[in-house]
Amino acid sequence: MTLSVALGPDTQESTQTGTVTSTDVLSAPDIPWNLVIWNDPVNLMSYVSYVFRSYFGYSEAKANKLMLEVHKKGRSIVAHGSKEQVEQHAVAMHGYGLWATVEKATGGGSGGAGSGGGSGKGKGKRG
Amino acid sequence: MAKAFKYGVKGITGYLEPAERELLRSLFGDVVSMLEPEERANQDPLAALVGLDAEAREPSDRALRRLLPNVSKNDDAASLEFRRYTERSLRESKIGALKAASLGLDKDELVLTPADARHWSMALNDVRLVLAERLDIRDDEDAGHVHLMQDWSQAEDVESYLALVYNFTTWLQESLVQAMLQSLETGG
Repeated sequence: MTLSVALGPDTQESTQTGTVTSTDVLSAPDIPWNLVIWNDPVNLMSYVSYVFRSYFGYSEAKANKLMLEVHKKGRSIVAHGSKEQVEQHAVAMHGYGLWATVEKATGGGSGGAGSGGGSGKGKGKRG
Repeated sequence: MAKAFKYGVKGITGYLEPAERELLRSLFGDVVSMLEPEERANQDPLAALVGLDAEAREPSDRALRRLLPNVSKNDDAASLEFRRYTERSLRESKIGALKAASLGLDKDELVLTPADARHWSMALNDVRLVLAERLDIRDDEDAGHVHLMQDWSQAEDVESYLALVYNFTTWLQESLVQAMLQSLETGG
């Protein structure tokens, strides 16, 4: 069940002068909510990554990147959508035992999904 | 001694000693009883049927609160409303996974279908979340400290016993998830 994050071609580069601050993906009116996953010391990194891959259909690279963001930054926005969509995801995440919340996208976003690429991917923890 | 789960031609397989199965059965059962919603006499049966619970509130028990967290970080009213609509079915789906995993404990040799494996990973995760609350694991440092406890001959009190159980379930879940990741690679 993949949630498309890609936006349609409504970014017609409206004749703004100056620098274009990209990543205003979050401020598009039709996708105003975020699904946030929070770090905790219990959930295995491998498990979190597995959930991102199997539930959202994310690639291994994307799942690991988001998982490491949760681990290092304490939280990560892992999906966007309507309020109903992200709430549905939140319940599913709670079902898996992940600590998920929903929040209104602010546009200025803290800890956005696109930032901070972890280099050490797949740092699997052995129990 | 249990064998790590692995992925092969039969799917995901594992092996547990009778005492380990007994331990897991009781852990799964404990979490089921924590999650079982209390029946209220004056409850609207139709509402219950569709999963509504007008009386639902944030659990006071920390472990239960971790299993059934608030959906909003800083909007308690929104969290409560959401809880009334979703908590009952969340409890039921968790109970379902725990019971399904428990049913698979009848034999030493475990052979898991993809659905079984999912139930097992969820059940083990919920057990670990509860144990972690009882062990006061608040951060990675606490987790590291608990992780040092590996020798069953060291078990001398409830806390050290719980730590050993936590480490056992962690090891088991990690091996299971590695097998599940492998099965994703091969599209199984």
